[in-house]
Amino acid sequence: MEDFSAVYRECYPRVLAYAASHAGAQRAEDITSETFTIAWRKLDQMPSNALPWLLGIARNLVRAARRQTTHLELTELPSDDDFALIELRVALATLSEADQEVLTLIAWHGLGAAEAAQVLGCTTAAFFVRLHRARRRLQAILSASNFDRARESWKTS
Amino acid sequence: MEDLMKDLAKAKPPVPEVDRDRMERDLARITALPRARSARTRLARRFAPVLVVAAVIALVVVLLPRPTEPVQPAAPRPWWHVLTQQWSLMVVGDPADPYVVRFDSKTDQWLTSGRQVTVVQKDGEVSPLTSEDATKWESAGKPATVPQVGGSHLVRMGPMKPSVQKTNVAGFQMSLHSKARFDSFDSLPADPVELRKSLETISGKDTYKTATLAMGMMVANVRNDQRRAAFELLKSLDGARYLGEVPLPDGRSGIGVAIPAPPTFQFSGVETQLVVNPETGLPMVRRDMISTAQHGVPPGFPISEEQYLLLDSTTIDPIVPQDVPVNGPVESPVVER
Repeated sequence: MEDFSAVYRECYPRVLAYAASHAGAQRAEDITSETFTIAWRKLDQMPSNALPWLLGIARNLVRAARRQTTHLELTELPSDDDFALIELRVALATLSEADQEVLTLIAWHGLGAAEAAQVLGCTTAAFFVRLHRARRRLQAILSASNFDRARESWKTS
Repeated sequence: MEDLMKDLAKAKPPVPEVDRDRMERDLARITALPRARSARTRLARRFAPVLVVAAVIALVVVLLPRPTEPVQPAAPRPWWHVLTQQWSLMVVGDPADPYVVRFDSKTDQWLTSGRQVTVVQKDGEVSPLTSEDATKWESAGKPATVPQVGGSHLVRMGPMKPSVQKTNVAGFQMSLHSKARFDSFDSLPADPVELRKSLETISGKDTYKTATLAMGMMVANVRNDQRRAAFELLKSLDGARYLGEVPLPDGRSGIGVAIPAPPTFQFSGVETQLVVNPETGLPMVRRDMISTAQHGVPPGFPISEEQYLLLDSTTIDPIVPQDVPVNGPVESPVVER
């Protein structure tokens, strides 16, 4: 019980951040709450490093929520971000969902490769390859001419 | 690429503030819920009476006075048991749109003076490396065999057939990778310079062959001081890099050394790394890494790896899989076109 409470208080902000980035701020708290409810029921399966396991549960809930809804909530983003960051977010959004997951688990949620592999249910080796390919595809999109044109039009407008 | 990840980190959307009241309210509600009783607990309760009876019987048997038995001398430990898990990558399919498959298997080997028993392709399988590779294989119609890229053979997908090889030979074989044989390992020097001279009588002046022999020797049933000498020898070879502490994916760590390796038929810029337990010198992992991205495989990534699961003396006779012909032909997953 004390162990669970300690894990809950430690991991809650990170599970909430994960849920918010994948399902929007409005649903994030409900998903986080449901994640820990499931974790409580399966407490005897909780590993000592609980975060990847919790994010794995949250991931399933995010996917279930997406299947049940017909519209996507737009994530509220700060309007004063510079163009490069906006461009990067747009490029990320054009990648497949699988590529986005691989990249954001590392860059946004601060997981190591072994932890991220655990969330996705693949081997660390497979994760490294997926990460490499996703990075390459993101780089390719950023280098593509339409973004260059967009950047130019931004400068002249 | 690293800069890209740093930029991506900056593009992280704002993190919602934690509503502490709701967080604590939810915690109180969750911990008030009943927890699912584990299957283990349910079984334990169901069979508790039986377990108590069994425990009483066991206690009675243990406490019964026993007739005095003659003391047996310690049994010899004749076998050196080596269990390895290895995997390697191969690029296959249409050269214009290739994908990567992974060969995964275990090798179980027992060595003693004059005899060796080897089980190869144990729990072996050839499968696509990632889900993306699996999609390419599936969209090609899940062919049972796929062509190597840049090679003249086909690769058979799916499970491998294990094979048992029993041979009677003179002396000790150093390792699975080296056919070098010794009457006894005791004569191998425990001084790195002398050891190098000794191994070079087999390898000539070929640095990589010498390195392979030294690595093979460390897997064999040699003394720890000989293993330490072999590791020092590796560090002293031309082009060798001492890696210091190397974390492994399973959470363990060891100390490593890297040796430039010849290219494979699909990958270039390869180096062989050996990671050993710093206390015993026993190898933990040997792997071939590439230094540049090739065929969608990132730099600094192993294209093959051998993990040493067991390196130990044993008196237990080899345990080989049943229903596998002994010394029959090995059905390699790489077949002629």
